[in-house]
Amino acid sequence: MNSGLPEMLHCLNSTSENCEMSVLERQRSRLKWQQQQQEHLSHHHPIPYFNGNDHLSFSGFHGDQALSDLVLNGGAMKPDPDVEHDDFRRFMNYGSGTTDFQMSSALPRTVSCPPYVAAAASVDSAAGKESCKKRKADRSPKIAAEEKKMKGCAEEESKITEQNSNSKSTTTTISTSANKNSKGASANAKKASDAPKTDYIHVRARRGQATDSHSLAERVRREKISERMKYLQDLVPGCNKVTGKAGMLDEIINYVQSLQRQVEFLSMKLAAINPRLDFDIENYILKEMFPACPPPMEPDHPHLQFNTSVEEVSGSGLEMVVDPMDATLRRTISAPITVQQSFLDSSNLNQIQQVTWEDELRNLYSMEYQQGRSTPFISQQITGFLEANHVKLEM
Amino acid sequence: MAESSNSRKRRKIDPDSQTRIQPETGPTRWRTQAEQQIYSSKLIDALRHVRRGGHGGVRDAADRVLAASARGRTRWSRAILTNRLSLRLAQINRKHKKAARPSAGKSRPRKPAKKLPPVESKVKVLSRLVPGCRKVSLPNLLEETTDYIAALEMQVKAMTFLTGLLNAGAAAPA
Repeated sequence: MNSGLPEMLHCLNSTSENCEMSVLERQRSRLKWQQQQQEHLSHHHPIPYFNGNDHLSFSGFHGDQALSDLVLNGGAMKPDPDVEHDDFRRFMNYGSGTTDFQMSSALPRTVSCPPYVAAAASVDSAAGKESCKKRKADRSPKIAAEEKKMKGCAEEESKITEQNSNSKSTTTTISTSANKNSKGASANAKKASDAPKTDYIHVRARRGQATDSHSLAERVRREKISERMKYLQDLVPGCNKVTGKAGMLDEIINYVQSLQRQVEFLSMKLAAINPRLDFDIENYILKEMFPACPPPMEPDHPHLQFNTSVEEVSGSGLEMVVDPMDATLRRTISAPITVQQSFLDSSNLNQIQQVTWEDELRNLYSMEYQQGRSTPFISQQITGFLEANHVKLEM
Repeated sequence: MAESSNSRKRRKIDPDSQTRIQPETGPTRWRTQAEQQIYSSKLIDALRHVRRGGHGGVRDAADRVLAASARGRTRWSRAILTNRLSLRLAQINRKHKKAARPSAGKSRPRKPAKKLPPVESKVKVLSRLVPGCRKVSLPNLLEETTDYIAALEMQVKAMTFLTGLLNAGAAAPA
């Protein structure tokens, strides 16, 4: 996080009553902040990111639709997005980290709106007075004063032309949302008072939309749904052409059904091949499983068997390497048996053994995947094939 | 994930929802090569122990292995893993209910159509397709579907590879 933030907050907190002084301090710190931001901004795609933010919710940024509209419109404007978006992103990160903004307790309405966001959003030119006014205001009667101040300030001092147009649109939004503010003021106030205790997701009300709690929650829900549908759209091929929930759901259903049918078909194919495997593997496993006390008997069988398979398969002078391989072979052979048992019985994988098994097989399969070599080994046994590959790999 | 509601519930905030999308937690984890390898190896293990015969034995084993690879983070995977027990129970219950259902006076339980919207009916169909998601709300259902589709794709890829492998192996010595 930037060092400018805490000092700015401190300024704000300490001098919340004295508007004038804090304004100057804020302006100074804001300028510093913006300078710092200018250095940092490089790789962000402000618009798409910000549009994403539209759907997401912000903590601590609630209550003041005017401000939200400001920032929204600020985001929508191309020319000067970077500073605001960076500010906004930092604000978001910051806001999500802290649950109790001291500001929020002191100022229920515009509450936890950090000064730099307010400043950036509300026209750099008009920062001083009306930001102070906004923060102080916590009742609807003050909105009228705000509007006038905003307009006045915006018109007098306009440094940046883009933000000037920005402010004009925002003043209109303030006026339109003022009416709705009065409706939702109680709900917002309640939300504001609750904010310091827990962290809520606060949704910004857009222009022309109702702001009571029910519709807000519904909007959140709808946005979640549309976000998920977008993911699905990327996942399911051919979903881009159809729009609307019904069409997309149709596509999704068809796709899931086709995938399931494919799995069914492939499993039938595997089942056809499986009996042959089973036969060979059962023979092998019987030899393994018979001795009541495995350790003394085990080394011989696998050693013998795999010696032969190894020599057949690789045939590249592996004799010297086979002995050190014994330990690993034995380990891999004994491990899977117990693993399978536990897996099938309780559906719980024995983690420790599973890990070693996974690692070894991962090596095997990495080799397989890369080289695609498989054919000559299957003739023996599946495990024989696996261990042979493993041996080759160790080499 | 917390449910959305009108009341003031606590909810996780954006960074968390964004990290959710990342690999290791999101549906993109099914795309990695490592995951496919893990699945293939586990599948081979499971296939060795499939009971002879029985339709869909291999299919169930494959699904169970897939669900196990999900590490229990998703609803559908948990549903598949616990399905073995509940399936038997459900079959028994169904038989009991069919026998015990009184024939008189219950001829029109299905008549009144409550919801006709096509979206709603499609959502129901989808919820039946994804295992364990019959009574799940729409946003969660969509999330489960995303993960399920990714997992199914991985399953198809792995099984195709395996069948190719085994087919080639079977064909070679012949």
